[in-house]
Amino acid sequence: MTEKKKTGLKELSPIDVYNSLPKINCKECGEATCMAFAMKIVNREANIDQCPPLLKKENAKAYNRLKELLKPAVKEVTVGVGDTAKKLGGKLVMYRHEFTYVNPTAIAIDVTDEMAPQEVENRIKCIENYSFEYIGYTLKLDMIAVRSTSGDAEKFKATVKKVAETTKLPLVLCSLNSTVLEAGLMAVPKARPLLYAATKENWKDMAELALMYSCPLVVSSPNDMSMLVSMVKTLLAYGVSDLVLDPGTFPNEGLPDTINNFTMLRRAATRGGQELAGFPLMGVPMVTWIGKGETAEDLIKWREAYLAAMLVVRYADILVMHGNDGWSLLPITVLRQNIYTDPRKPQAVAAGLKVFGNPDENSPVMFTSNFAMTYYTVASDLESNKLNAYLIVVETEGSAIDSGVAGRKLTAERVADAIKASGIENKVKHRKIIIPGKASRISGEIEELSGWKVQVGPRDSSEIPKYLIEKWQP
Amino acid sequence: MTQLPQDGAKKKEDEGLKLSSDLLEALAKFQQIELEDFQMDVKELEIIFEPGMAGQIMPKIKLPGIAGRKTTAMLQTAFVPPVETYANKITEVRLGATRSEGGTRGKSVVVGGETSPAFYNFERPTTHKPVITLDVFDMEVPLSKAVKMHVKDVVGDPAAWAKLAVNKFGADMVTIHLISIDPLLKDATPKDAVKTVEKVLQAVDVPLVIGGCGDPVKDADVFEAICEAFPGERFLISSITRDMDVERCAKYVKKNGHAALSFTPMDLNLAKELNRRLYDFLGREDIVMDLTTAALGYGLDYAFTNMERARLNGLLGDMELAHPMSSGTTNAWAAREAWLKMSAEWEPRELRGPLWEVTTALTLLLAGVDLFMMMHPAAVKTLKDVTNYLTSGKKADASKFADWVTVKA
Amino acid sequence: MSMFKDIPVDVGVIYEGERIRRNDMQVEFGGPSVKQKFELAKVKPMDEIEDGKITIIGPDIKDMKEGGAYPLGILVEAAGATLDQGLEGVIERRIHGYLNYIEGFMHLNQRYDIWIRLGKKSFQKGLNSFEPIGKVLYRLFKSELPIIEKVQITFITDPAKLSELYPEAMQDYESRDAKARGLKDEDVDKFYGCTLCQSFAPTHVCVITPQRYSNCGAISWFDGKASANIDPKGPVFAIDRGQLINAEKGEFSGVNEMAKKRTMGEVNQVWLYTAFDHPHTSCGCFEAVAFYIPEADGFGVVNRSFKGVTVNGLPFSTIADSTAGGRQVDGFHGMSIEYMRSKKFLSADGGWNRIVWLPKEVKERVKDFIPQDVVDKIATEENATSVDALKAFLKDKNHPVVARWAAEEALAAQAEALEVKEEAAGTMMPVATAASLPIMAGGFKIILKDAKIYAKTVIIQVVKNESEKR
Repeated sequence: MTEKKKTGLKELSPIDVYNSLPKINCKECGEATCMAFAMKIVNREANIDQCPPLLKKENAKAYNRLKELLKPAVKEVTVGVGDTAKKLGGKLVMYRHEFTYVNPTAIAIDVTDEMAPQEVENRIKCIENYSFEYIGYTLKLDMIAVRSTSGDAEKFKATVKKVAETTKLPLVLCSLNSTVLEAGLMAVPKARPLLYAATKENWKDMAELALMYSCPLVVSSPNDMSMLVSMVKTLLAYGVSDLVLDPGTFPNEGLPDTINNFTMLRRAATRGGQELAGFPLMGVPMVTWIGKGETAEDLIKWREAYLAAMLVVRYADILVMHGNDGWSLLPITVLRQNIYTDPRKPQAVAAGLKVFGNPDENSPVMFTSNFAMTYYTVASDLESNKLNAYLIVVETEGSAIDSGVAGRKLTAERVADAIKASGIENKVKHRKIIIPGKASRISGEIEELSGWKVQVGPRDSSEIPKYLIEKWQP
Repeated sequence: MTQLPQDGAKKKEDEGLKLSSDLLEALAKFQQIELEDFQMDVKELEIIFEPGMAGQIMPKIKLPGIAGRKTTAMLQTAFVPPVETYANKITEVRLGATRSEGGTRGKSVVVGGETSPAFYNFERPTTHKPVITLDVFDMEVPLSKAVKMHVKDVVGDPAAWAKLAVNKFGADMVTIHLISIDPLLKDATPKDAVKTVEKVLQAVDVPLVIGGCGDPVKDADVFEAICEAFPGERFLISSITRDMDVERCAKYVKKNGHAALSFTPMDLNLAKELNRRLYDFLGREDIVMDLTTAALGYGLDYAFTNMERARLNGLLGDMELAHPMSSGTTNAWAAREAWLKMSAEWEPRELRGPLWEVTTALTLLLAGVDLFMMMHPAAVKTLKDVTNYLTSGKKADASKFADWVTVKA
Repeated sequence: MSMFKDIPVDVGVIYEGERIRRNDMQVEFGGPSVKQKFELAKVKPMDEIEDGKITIIGPDIKDMKEGGAYPLGILVEAAGATLDQGLEGVIERRIHGYLNYIEGFMHLNQRYDIWIRLGKKSFQKGLNSFEPIGKVLYRLFKSELPIIEKVQITFITDPAKLSELYPEAMQDYESRDAKARGLKDEDVDKFYGCTLCQSFAPTHVCVITPQRYSNCGAISWFDGKASANIDPKGPVFAIDRGQLINAEKGEFSGVNEMAKKRTMGEVNQVWLYTAFDHPHTSCGCFEAVAFYIPEADGFGVVNRSFKGVTVNGLPFSTIADSTAGGRQVDGFHGMSIEYMRSKKFLSADGGWNRIVWLPKEVKERVKDFIPQDVVDKIATEENATSVDALKAFLKDKNHPVVARWAAEEALAAQAEALEVKEEAAGTMMPVATAASLPIMAGGFKIILKDAKIYAKTVIIQVVKNESEKR
């Protein structure tokens, strides 16, 4: 056992956490022992706030010690309240392969205070209705940004009120004029919106608003990083601790500086020991709408979309966008899902029977693993060749075929069970199943356990069409 | 107990605390010495904080929220760009050859040579701007509607297609996919393939990528014929894989002055292994790596992380991964969402498709990809624009884009 | 495969898992109804081997009764410049795979347990002799293992000859095992590293020693040696052991060097025989994991196939997550079942005297290697399913860890007392705080005059340059 102080995330052992827990195994956190709870905490599957004894005053020192130990490099800032509140930041690492990313980039779509109330309502409904089913996840948009284009406090207040009546999504209130912003806040005093933004000119007034209404505050310093961290330092000293950083988003020739700033800030926070940079980052792809001129809207949306994609990859924790078409938002929402997938856990699809084309009682029956990549590759080969077949997806906890066989996650038992559970016996007359070539090792066992005749298919699914033509007979 | 010299502290301005030679020796050996029950009497001891040191020396403490007393002035502090240096740089690979270089191209391109992760311009500038090669097929192929509308007049005529790719769509290179050699398609002969490549060479003067059909045996034969027919042209042979006769292929690639694309299925250990085997016959400067590109939504995260790790490890000193990377970004079109006609709220696919390819490409651009194999002209244009911007060395016009809040859109 | 054109049946990987049922079999060799059967590989000097020779001693398949069961000995004798006796087991294990590639030919188990069946269909196609079977083995050995330069194969079906060779074979297995078991880490100068699962865990490298199997349980030191020899460019490579730095913990300079290089500096120190401080890293495919149970100051062990939760209420998957991904996590250690049979099994932590809980099925598998005086004191899921029950069980059986509890309590009391004292002495004030010192362009000085400096500890450290870090 060691008393060494652990620094990196990598070295954090459950023992380090356990040492600061009450160690009474009271089970109030839902785990059988404090050690079990400690393990869940290290895996970021549980939170120290779930331990009632730890929250008691006499354990304050231990609680703080744990908070410090588990502190993420990028602060976690919550916007909004209740079920729809959104957590920003909280990143533990710079590169996703070092652990995993948390709190997927929040996407805020805008409305302005010069839109008529009905227009505001329609637009918000549209934003809320955005929904795409993707491997068991539902991709949605997250926030509404209310911009004051009028500069009129009353107009802004009225719009914010309308927005709050229409949706429960968390808000970003945008105006560099603190009077206007305050008017908006008066319409939603308890909503904890994100305030955009404190600049070097208005920071004090904005800080007062943030403190008064307990709101997180964006710190904006376009392309001047020293000013940005100076403002962070100042605001922290002032007492505002929930900050979001806006280093500026610039399209076209401004891309190198944009990418640079986001990268520098994230690295400074995670590896450079610069705590002032340790806050969520805001990107604003909607800058592409500035100076639009005669440019076609589709082109602006295109540019906005690709800029957003680059920012999702390079550390943005929240994005403000204007274009809200399905075609332009779908790639980013899917990308966000991909980047924020936990790289330690293999992606799995739901097990079960999948139907391709219009199979009948004589159509071929195949199986595959539920590793997402395997499944999609096989599915793609079946679809693009317009084949009529049944595919049984076997539960292998996300393992591919060869590693599944080797790691005993793809077993003859599981295949036999899957065949039974699929009800395929009622769908085809024959009792033949084509198995992936890489599962040949368990071919005999599958036959014995399932009672079906096994045919060992090709090792690569791209050869399935050829295989079916040459070797399939019901 | 060892005594530290008492007045050694302030001899000269620049002299620090002198340590006895035994201490220094011990320090060199063990890197750290602990003295217990230490006592030192000093007449005068000066501790000097050099400019810039403060951030490193000061103990990190949580700045208290001073209740009641609020700062009125801005607390100035400097942001220190977190520049790092790496043990290694990425190998440079030249593709294509001009007349003086032994070929017939108008210009050749160089990929790789990076000394920092992708576009960490705050550290060092990008060495070579990433390069784009456009897909050209040697026979009729099924294409998605979004793509077909741009190339329908040239499908089936690789020379014309190549011309269009370079002149109209701005490709830096052209990939001639010789899929007709596939035994399951036309089973065209190596001689046929050589003829096709000759036509393309005549049609454009950019460097070429030679794409096979994926059959390890047929590809090996066809590549050999092409390498021997055009010595010195420095084609990028796409690709050499572990299930081919690596020795045979690498030898004729080297002999005829070409470069090889080392292609492995999404596994860095296999990539390293294949490169190790290639080093027996090829120089480092002859190898580009393809670590496999999966489409957005269909494994892009694996591809991205693989490539990001490969680039970082290459810079940190893993020589087997310190090669320029290529991406088959066209694979983005394998995603149904790229080409499928979906319900109204997701249309039009003519925009969604190329944007799918662009998103795939940009994600991998940020992982360090140096050579992009692409399909759709709009995607190519955007990638060119972005790489031009990123390597322009220009500063952002901050004031122009600072006020997005009030823009009327 | 084209190299088998002259074989009456097909040969390929797709036949690997084929089963031949009793009704479909032409003839059976070995198996439960036959007393003596074996397969043995032996490494011999070059001049004793006739490359490609296939010998059949006794009746051939065509002379056998349909449906009958017969004794069989398979002898593979190989020679090669880099082959040594340590590789016999590796060669022998291949017989199983290669024979299974033959269409309609099934091979189960190994050594003196082999069970082989030839299907009727293949017999009718012309597979009625050991000759082509020998040819398949020969060709596969030569093409897959280039370090084998000459190999000859003998099939013994004559009961008299078999009876003569059988005890010799048994003796060979025993001496091979004794040698393997007896081989200590200190006896060899090379270990073997494996990065097969590095794709999933970039900072993981398995260090395989004679007394420490790979985490996945698939590769022994001998296997590692063979792999590295056969394919020096492959995923398994030799590690120069270097100097022994710490015998108790199992620290070797060569291993540290290798770890630092292969993990880009993420892992700098590896202690092979412990689960604390700098344990061997784990990937994600380990067979089992040892996890620290602080309430008992001992280790629990759980294997991948164990269903349900362990004594601390967590399933294998959650415990595995704590250590997977190539990390060195204090108190957690992924490993193979075979490692539990080693004398060096967590030896620095107390070995089996520190193991307090493991699943019954695992205990059964490694029972012979648990010291007699502690084997019944280790709990399984049948003895305890909670930490309280575990403590009671351990106390009742007087498991060696119980003695540690008393000592630990004493230490804890001392530490608490010290802590209180320190607190009373007053918290240390930092010399200067960042907030109060404005940063001047030229830096600043602190001047102490006529001062006495006391410190309980002064640490003088070499500072690394930015570029050396990471």
